[in-house]
Amino acid sequence: MDFLFSYIALAEVYVLLGLSTNLLVGIAGIFSVSQAAVFGVGAYIVAQLLMTETMGFVPAMLVASLVCIALNVLVTLPSLRVSGDYFVVTSFGIQLLATAVFINWTQGTGGANGLPGIPPPDLFGVMLETNAQLVMLTTVSVGLGCLAFWLIMRAPFGRLLRAIREDELAVAAVGKGVLQAKVSAAALAGAFAGSAGGLYATFLSFIDPVSFDLDASILLLTMVVVGGARTLAGSIIGPFLLLALPQVLTFIDIPTTIAASARQLIYGVLLIVFMLFRPQGLAGEKL
Amino acid sequence: MLALQLLVNGLVTGSALGLVAISFSLIYSTTKIFHVAHAGVYTMAGYVAWSLASRGMPDVVTLVVTVAACMAMGALIQHQLYARLERRRATPLVVLIASLGALAVMQNVIAAIYSPNILQFPVPWGSQMVVLGGVRLTWTQILTVLASLAAYGATVWFFHRTILGKQIRAVASNPFLAEITRLHPQRVYIIVVGIGSAIVALPGILVPLDLGLQPYSGITPLLTATIAMIAGGIGSITGSFVIAVGIAVLQNLSLLVIPGEWSIGITFFIFVIFMLFRPTGLFAAAR
Repeated sequence: MDFLFSYIALAEVYVLLGLSTNLLVGIAGIFSVSQAAVFGVGAYIVAQLLMTETMGFVPAMLVASLVCIALNVLVTLPSLRVSGDYFVVTSFGIQLLATAVFINWTQGTGGANGLPGIPPPDLFGVMLETNAQLVMLTTVSVGLGCLAFWLIMRAPFGRLLRAIREDELAVAAVGKGVLQAKVSAAALAGAFAGSAGGLYATFLSFIDPVSFDLDASILLLTMVVVGGARTLAGSIIGPFLLLALPQVLTFIDIPTTIAASARQLIYGVLLIVFMLFRPQGLAGEKL
Repeated sequence: MLALQLLVNGLVTGSALGLVAISFSLIYSTTKIFHVAHAGVYTMAGYVAWSLASRGMPDVVTLVVTVAACMAMGALIQHQLYARLERRRATPLVVLIASLGALAVMQNVIAAIYSPNILQFPVPWGSQMVVLGGVRLTWTQILTVLASLAAYGATVWFFHRTILGKQIRAVASNPFLAEITRLHPQRVYIIVVGIGSAIVALPGILVPLDLGLQPYSGITPLLTATIAMIAGGIGSITGSFVIAVGIAVLQNLSLLVIPGEWSIGITFFIFVIFMLFRPTGLFAAAR
């Protein structure tokens, strides 16, 4: 039962990340491999704030989201002003830089050993300690996230983003702020990723740089690609399927030394195969 | 004295990096594809060469076979992946995701076969030291500088003096017009990616000869090379090469004041400065 709970909770954290990636990559059409970095920043901030007992869980999540919004705006604003390919370089750079910080800034992040003993989250004075309670927390958070995503997609802002993806020039010609809309999408993606980080840190009570490296960013992209871009269903299906994959792999007899590479290899193959034969994913729209 | 040694080290890594930048710049300015999988070809070169060298092949055979293998791999990626996507009118985002998938596949196939640990080349002459005017150099480093300068010169000559080079530049500047004059852009793309992959095989062999092989070490040089390409002006071979050397020298000199693990920060800082103040690069006019 504990195993099932932790699978559901983790998958739900990744659904939040999937929504974030989908907003950025699927809807706004901005390629990004720095989603895991933002996720990590959120996780480390919440972990530090809770471990030093600076504030409670809810304000800590708020701080993490705000920092991640600021980070994403800062990252996207200068590069998107120029062109999309400049943002590709920026996002690779941010991801590598973030990994360097997570590993080498030992005082703040615990270095390669990670941060153990992150206290469980509290909601309005109630400590959430059992797995069942934590799953409730992640489920409620994901529910709110999905609701927000759905509302954004229905709102004029969502339609503007879709229009930009279809034809940027036409949108600019009718007098809409393209750069502003893209940066806003990135900011929203930052808020989603940051809060996912906070949930992840408190649920596992341990974080280390491996969870937030380039491979993790590739995994997030694979989730959105497999699930399907631009839809709520896609962002939910992808994480649940891909997080089950390592469990399936344990049934096949693969030596443990190459298990990690085998997993990443499958993500790579999935990316290629879906781009070639089904760019809309299982339940998405055309990418 | 330390500064002089670092300066020379910078020139050595810079000349290898310059070749990565040239090769990426050729591919990018012609096909307009952000060929992330290039980092995989770069990594592959080292491993192919290592396998041949450790089976006792003569060095010349190793070099020729490795360059040919990389060329074939590049052409294969263009022909089987990018050309197929092009026929389906895939967006640049889709091509980029597929390219990232190809990179993940290559890196992890290598990691699964050769293990993710560092491998050293079984070449005894490579690490022999020479002292030149108080600066210590290995034969590998001297060879790196000479080979890189030769390859740089050959590339410039090829693109400005031969028919094929001029045809490639014609396709790069206007694929539509080139097609009218029966130049077959798709065929030229395969040739260009092949040539670029052959060029990147050189630093792909020479750098690990000095520093050892690791399956996931291709991304950082590729990122630095793309930054050099942008800062040098997209399409300018000399610009990419010069800036790459400049970045590597700056990185090495910065070791005097900043620990090595932050060198990615230096690179990225240079990129941000360029992006903010001169996004078209230094040598952009020459197209």
